Amino acid sequence: MTTLRVAGSSIRLQLLELARRPGFVVPTMGFPALFFSLFDLQYARAHPDIAGDMMLSYIAFAIIGVTLFQFGIGVAVDRTLPWERYLRTLPAPVWLRFTSRIVVAALFALCSAAFVVAVATIAASVRFSFGQWLFIAACAAAGAIPFVLFGLAIGYWTSPKAAVPIANIFYLLLSFAGGLWLPPSMLPDFAKAISPFTPTRQFANLLWNAPHGFSASALFALAGFAALFAAIAAAGYRRDRATRFA
Amino acid sequence: MSIVEINDVYKRFGAVTAVEGLSLSIDEPGVVALLGPNGAGKTTTIDMLLGLRRPTSGSVRVLGRDPSVSHVRERIGCAPQQGGVPESLRVREILEFVAAQYPRSITVKQALSDFSLTSYAGRQAGVLSGGELRRLTLALAFIGKPDLVFLDEPTNGLDVEARRSVWEYIRAYASGGGTILLTTHHMEEAEALASRICVMNKGRLVREGTPAEIRRGGLRRVSYLDAAGAKVVTETGDSDAFVRDLVLNDVPFRDLCVVEQSLEDAVLSLLEEGAAV
Repeated sequence: MTTLRVAGSSIRLQLLELARRPGFVVPTMGFPALFFSLFDLQYARAHPDIAGDMMLSYIAFAIIGVTLFQFGIGVAVDRTLPWERYLRTLPAPVWLRFTSRIVVAALFALCSAAFVVAVATIAASVRFSFGQWLFIAACAAAGAIPFVLFGLAIGYWTSPKAAVPIANIFYLLLSFAGGLWLPPSMLPDFAKAISPFTPTRQFANLLWNAPHGFSASALFALAGFAALFAAIAAAGYRRDRATRFA
Repeated sequence: MSIVEINDVYKRFGAVTAVEGLSLSIDEPGVVALLGPNGAGKTTTIDMLLGLRRPTSGSVRVLGRDPSVSHVRERIGCAPQQGGVPESLRVREILEFVAAQYPRSITVKQALSDFSLTSYAGRQAGVLSGGELRRLTLALAFIGKPDLVFLDEPTNGLDVEARRSVWEYIRAYASGGGTILLTTHHMEEAEALASRICVMNKGRLVREGTPAEIRRGGLRRVSYLDAAGAKVVTETGDSDAFVRDLVLNDVPFRDLCVVEQSLEDAVLSLLEEGAAV
């Protein structure tokens, strides 16, 4: 009960902070849908057979953006603030605040993906059954985990100023190489060669398969990436603790 | 059980030793002032008591336990550093959030009224003045009804009236059985509030005692006008003997005045003694 109350108050505070920054929230949330509308919507309308896949790519794009920004830039900035230091003196354990951060990021990602879905449903007539949507959502949540950890790795290893360009570069390069904007078959040779080895491509594979099946190999690859990023993030966390709170 | 127990604590940051063999215990509720120049190790000491830093060696216990456990943190309070609250949040929202963190807290309404913040409840922290922010951070330190409160320069940036009312609050809190460990550079504040003063310098405890005891350890200032009407001022450890000498030697004097050293002078001379060693 106490735990729920503490987590609830923590989530509320983060949502309030986001609500006071519409200039940050609206563009960040709407960016993937905007990108989809500008660059791929026309193509999706002309090719209904792959419109669903394109929408799923942009859902991945939306989720990856939220994870890298919320956990990468967010953690890099927050961990240096005096407020964060104060929060550490409060009774709640660190994991509880972290859990509330995940809930807030999940809500954020859900909204961002919902815009993409809205565009695809309305303008490109993409249709899935309720069961399919449910499985897509489950795959999206599972596939987000390695990117949360990737974000944390950036957040704990970079300064607040460096985190912004670094998160952006990884975000855009990996989205491109992973085939989220152009289907992998249309990528330039170099990108095509490295594409299967990017976490973004594996996330896309998981989602592309979701409406009609399940890609165990993609999930396996994502688990591998999750382990790698977790190790990097954990080392960064320990380093941060040792300098700031030792 | 001690409220605070610091036992032979060393804290090193690389080549720098911030706290060197500090032992200190607080066994009774009340206001304890930690005095000392910048770099004396006060903040590092408080960080260790808050569980934010770990001693390099020695042990720190708060309310009988390791301060990093959440059971202890439920019973302690501290104020965020100045400028350390999220600017976009409103005063009421910040208070509500912190109140929800503690198992037994005073109401937000009470906290607003205790710290004269009622009319600012709906303001965002970013638009508050320095004094208003200070009152907000103090309210955060007390809102969880803690047994032990750490305050770093609690009245910095407050006007005289606000300072007096914060002093009143701190006194009332201590007489209600609370313990407050504060650092301050204002001797007047230490003198007005503290039942016990600990003077730190270069990571060590130089002296501790009641304000009267700290002063008594120091010198007294004796002044008088001599036969020519010129003012003579002397500082002496034994003013009785000094005056006796004046009388026995038939030194003419008038307007004799013996003044106990101020706390500030006493602390300064303690620090100088320390430097001389």
